[in-house]
Amino acid sequence: MSTERRRVHPITPIVKVSTYLPALFLAVLITGGQALFSRPFGALGVLGLTIVVAVVALGYEYLSYQRLQFWFDDDGDLRVQSGVVFQQERRLQLSRLQTVDVNRPLVARVFGFAALRIEVAGAGDSRADLQYLTNADASALRSEILARSAGLDHTAGEAPEAPLLVVPAKDLFVSLMLRAVTVFLLLLTVLIVVGNVWASGWTGIFTVLLGGVPLLIVVTEFAQLYNFTVAQSPDGIRLRHGLIQTQARTIPPGRVCAVEFVEPLFWRRKGWVRLYVTVAGLSKSDDDSGTESVLLPVAPREVAEDLFRRVMPGAQPENVEMIRPIGSVKRRSPIQWRYLAAGADERIAVLQHGRITRRRQIVDHARVQSVRLSQGPWERALGLASVNLDIPPGRIRPQWQHFGLEQAHGLLAMQTERMRAARAADKSTRWMQN
Amino acid sequence: MASKVEVAFRPEGDTWQSLSPKLITVRRLILALFAVAVVVAGVVVALTVEPVWIGALIAVAGVLMLAIGWPWVGRRVKSWGYAERADDLVVGSGIWFRRLVIVPYGRLQLVDVKAGPIDRAFGLTSVQLHTAAATTDAAIPGLSPETAAALRDRLAARGEQRSAGL
Repeated sequence: MSTERRRVHPITPIVKVSTYLPALFLAVLITGGQALFSRPFGALGVLGLTIVVAVVALGYEYLSYQRLQFWFDDDGDLRVQSGVVFQQERRLQLSRLQTVDVNRPLVARVFGFAALRIEVAGAGDSRADLQYLTNADASALRSEILARSAGLDHTAGEAPEAPLLVVPAKDLFVSLMLRAVTVFLLLLTVLIVVGNVWASGWTGIFTVLLGGVPLLIVVTEFAQLYNFTVAQSPDGIRLRHGLIQTQARTIPPGRVCAVEFVEPLFWRRKGWVRLYVTVAGLSKSDDDSGTESVLLPVAPREVAEDLFRRVMPGAQPENVEMIRPIGSVKRRSPIQWRYLAAGADERIAVLQHGRITRRRQIVDHARVQSVRLSQGPWERALGLASVNLDIPPGRIRPQWQHFGLEQAHGLLAMQTERMRAARAADKSTRWMQN
Repeated sequence: MASKVEVAFRPEGDTWQSLSPKLITVRRLILALFAVAVVVAGVVVALTVEPVWIGALIAVAGVLMLAIGWPWVGRRVKSWGYAERADDLVVGSGIWFRRLVIVPYGRLQLVDVKAGPIDRAFGLTSVQLHTAAATTDAAIPGLSPETAAALRDRLAARGEQRSAGL
C-alpha cells in the first residue's frame, strides 16, 4: 500500500534563492556592472536587475517546489517526482540503499532547514535530493527510510545512537599542518602574494584575496571536517561534521566496499592515521577534496582500528599473511618497495603501498567487481606485473603494485577464486533471488 | 621469459576467441587515410612555406607513421582475445601495456553493443561490459554482429543467473 504524496517545506523556494543570491548579485555586477553604472540608472540599476532576476528565479523555484513530491510505493520503495522542464519520476529501491545524508548549507542552517540526500547502488545517477525540510522532518524521514530499508517497523521513530568519538579541533588542525601538501600550498601562497605585491604594490594583496589562494584548500578541508563526530546506531554508523555547512551521513551496516588507512610521514611520530571509506553509490560526484569519503579525519591508530572493526565486522587484517614482491622491484620502485605487500584471507584482501605516505587498503571480496592483471614495458623488463581490484568509484583505488609475474598471477587466481566463494556466501546481497 | 608472460596473460586450458581480421583492414584503412592526409599537408606546406624542409619533414613523418603503424595495427588487433569461462569472462589485450581483465558474470550490470558508421560499413560491432566499478574496462572491439549479439545474450543470461548485487 503506498503512502500519501509528500512535499518539501513551502519555504524552500525562498531558501534556495537566498542561497545563490550573493552569486547572482556578483554575476550581474561583473557582466553588466560597467554598462549599468555609466548609465543614468547607476547603482540602482544593478540592484534592480538583481531583484528582477531573483524574482524570476523565485518563480522557477516555486514551480520546481510544486513538482517535487515523494512517497513510498506499494513495494515500500521511495519514489521521487521532480523537474519542471524535464519531468521525471525516480524509484529508489531501498533494498539497495547505500547512504542517507543530511546536509545543512549555511543559509539553510540559518533558517533551520536541512537537505536529505538518498543514495542507492546502481550504474550512473542513482541518488535523490530532497531540499529543504525542517530539521525535525529531515531526521524523521531519514530514520523512516533507514528503517524501511532494513525491513523494520518504520513508525518506531529515530533509532537511538551511542556516540563513539569526536575528533578534537586541535588534532585536526595540527594534522592538516603536518602534511607535505599543506607545506607545498603554503609556499605556493607565499609565492603568489609576494609576486603580486612585487608586480602591483600593496593593492596586489586585494587581487590575491579576490582570486583566492591555494591555502584555501586546506582551510576548506578544516571547515568541512570540523567537529567530526562518529556515532553507532542500529541503522548504521553516523558521521557528522562541518563548521559552516554541516553534514550528517549514515552508512548502513554491510555496505562498505573498502577502507584505507593513510599515514603521512609527519603523522607517524604521533601515531595518527586517517581513514577513507568506499561505499557503492557514494562519491559519484567528482569530490576531489575527498571529504565525502573520509571515515575519520585523524585519530590514534587504536581508535581507527576500533572504528574499522565496526564498519567491516569480522575482518581481521592483522591476521592476514602478507607476501612481498621479488627482489627486482627495487629497480622499479626504489623508494616504496620496502612497504609493498599483498595478502588476503577468505573475507578481505589487504594491499599496502607508499613510503612517504603509507597506504593500507582493506577490500571486501564480496564487493569487488572485477580483477585486472597489467604489465607495462618497464615492469616486463624486470619480470613484474600488477593486479588491480575494481571496486565502485571513490578515493580508494586498490592495486597490488609491482609483484613478480608468478606472484601476480597467483594473486589473480587466488583473488578470482576468493571472490567467487564470497559471492556465493554473501546472503546480504541476495535480494534479487528471494 | 616471453613464454611465461604469454601464459600469464593467456591462461591455458581456456578457449580463446580472437577478433575479426576485418578489424585489421578497417584500422589500417583509417591509418592510411590519416597518413595520406599528413603527407598531402606536408607537400602543400613544402610548396608554400620557406624553407622547404619543414614541409618535407611533415611528409616524411606521414610516411613513417604508415610504415610503423601498418604492422603495429596487425599485432595490436591480434593481441586481443577473450574467453568465456565457467564463472567469468576474461579479456586480454595489449602489446606494450598488457592487460587481462576478469569480469564475473554475476557482476555485470550492463552489456553495450555498439557500432560506429565505419564499423557498420565493414560489418563490425564492439561489445563493452559495465559493472558497478567505473574502472572495469573490458571492451571487445571488432566482432561480427552475429557473434556480438550472441555473446551479449549469453552474458545477460549468465549474469541474471548469478547476479550478486553489490
